[in-house]
Amino acid sequence: MRMFATIANLLVKRVLTAIPILLVVSALLFCILRILPVDPAAMSLPPNATVQEIEAMRTEMRLDRPLYEQYGIWLNQLLHGDIGRSIHFRQDVTSLIGSTLPATIELAVIAMMVATVFGLAGGLFLFYVRGTRAEAVMDFISILLLSLPEFLWSLFLLLIFGVFFEILPFTGRLSPGFERPVVTGFLLIDSLITGNISTFFNALEHMILPCLALGIALSPSLMRVLRSSLLDAYQDDYIQQARLRGLSEKRILIRHGLKNAILPTLSLMGVQFGFLFGGTLLVEIIYSYPGMGNLMVDAIRNADLPIIQGAGLTYCIAVLVISIVVDSLYLILNPKLRMR
Amino acid sequence: MQPLPLWLKSGRVQTGLVIISILGVCAVFAPYLAPNDPNEQNLLAILTPPAWADGGDPMFPLGTDSLGRCILSRLIFGARVALTVAFTASVGAMIIGAIFAHVAGYFGGWVDWLIGRVVEIWLSFPPVILSLILMVGLGTGLRNVVLAIILVDWTRFCRVLRSEVIVLRRRDYVAAAQLVGFSHWRTITREILPGTLPLLITLMSLEMGVAVIVEAILSFVGMSVGSETPAWGQMIADARQNIYEAPFNLIAPIFAIFFAVFGFNILGDGLRRTLDTRLTQTERT
Repeated sequence: MRMFATIANLLVKRVLTAIPILLVVSALLFCILRILPVDPAAMSLPPNATVQEIEAMRTEMRLDRPLYEQYGIWLNQLLHGDIGRSIHFRQDVTSLIGSTLPATIELAVIAMMVATVFGLAGGLFLFYVRGTRAEAVMDFISILLLSLPEFLWSLFLLLIFGVFFEILPFTGRLSPGFERPVVTGFLLIDSLITGNISTFFNALEHMILPCLALGIALSPSLMRVLRSSLLDAYQDDYIQQARLRGLSEKRILIRHGLKNAILPTLSLMGVQFGFLFGGTLLVEIIYSYPGMGNLMVDAIRNADLPIIQGAGLTYCIAVLVISIVVDSLYLILNPKLRMR
Repeated sequence: MQPLPLWLKSGRVQTGLVIISILGVCAVFAPYLAPNDPNEQNLLAILTPPAWADGGDPMFPLGTDSLGRCILSRLIFGARVALTVAFTASVGAMIIGAIFAHVAGYFGGWVDWLIGRVVEIWLSFPPVILSLILMVGLGTGLRNVVLAIILVDWTRFCRVLRSEVIVLRRRDYVAAAQLVGFSHWRTITREILPGTLPLLITLMSLEMGVAVIVEAILSFVGMSVGSETPAWGQMIADARQNIYEAPFNLIAPIFAIFFAVFGFNILGDGLRRTLDTRLTQTERT
């Protein structure tokens, strides 16, 4: 019961601090994009529009007002769920983001699972070989891996499994001929709800390479933190105590070592998962995956300001949500913080 | 002969320095080393494979891209953009980050609070997204790439250095300096900075690797230098169009980026091990 109260407390506190952050972020986004030498009014009209028409459009879009007033109007609309209309796609930004965000979330969540599995396994292995010859080799390999960001992994895996061996698909989310069920917008969930098992597996197959790329790229830093936290934990007396009590090494590792070492790893994961969410952008482009990253880059190429603002803000919200979730997990797992 | 300083004896540091020197030589002497003009299009010889493969042309040791430009020459010239960005952006980010970190850590109080909040706001943006948005605002070009990376990555320095400054500020010799009547400026530069310097140098080396990656990402999506300047990210974007016909064109720039980032990372790791006094002490005991 006490635990729920502290967690609720933390959640309220974190959400309250997130609000001013989002306000500043939205103001920054608005300002950066408003100092651009592009004229949104001229862009939303056909190229043969007259100067008068452009002026009328400027007034209609309220671009003639002072910057702070424009920001106020934009913010007010934002709070009513309206981020404006895309200049290029001629569609509401909210619906564009709504249709691409689920794909990005699915990608990020599965990639995080992959990263966690690889990170934990690798960290335990690094710890297991401590003090041996293999450690130096593994340590060197982990620096090698750290030097390959998700963007290079994506291309690399695509070349090996997509082009050379041709065993995995690497474009889009479904093979041609598959019907896309729409219930919640999350393809994996929707195909399960509607009972389309073959669609589900096809979608999953398309996600293997992008998720592996993101997961593998993230795991070396997790491995290294887990290894050093385990080394720290094993310095403590309770490990020696457990040994004296005659517990098996395996039990000591899992019940005593890992339980304490997982906390610093978890707090790093919060930051890293935020970065991973941004890293999906490139992976999406490379695998032509129809998520928010592709939307964002299309918008940037067309100088489509409403989408850039909307998508930028959505990325920020995602990072804040991830860090709040990880912090709550931290609290659940850390009895020391819970008592206060 | 003087004995080598400890940090230069580390194999990791040496490996890193060798890799970076190779790249540096490529960048500086690019016009002499490159077999061809990197921008010269040869439409009669597009997508030729590397010289050792069937149909390869010894004129183009690593083959040509979709416009018949020499891959090797473009790789060599690409080192210029990569290294320019790596050095200038990491120095810039280091200076801004270090100033804020020392001010926040040394003075504490509301200054620290304010800088802490600014860093928090920055960190709520995924770095890739923030740098893309900044590039939209600033416009493309080498100078703006450097500026965007500085504006995104100064927080990496600020966060880590600040906690180091807070530890050092509590040392007796800092209190002594204050008692003797050193000005704040003198205390920071003479007493605290020498303590944070090892960490600062290590972080800078790692940041250079990050800068190479960010530049490659930006030029991959066409938001970095113009098309007349060869850059590794552009080469990847170009090779991706012909992935079946010429997979090697993709491997070459991937390897170049990896090589550069690995050089900076292994240098950083070696420096961290040899310069961090706490670490070297525990390893010796």
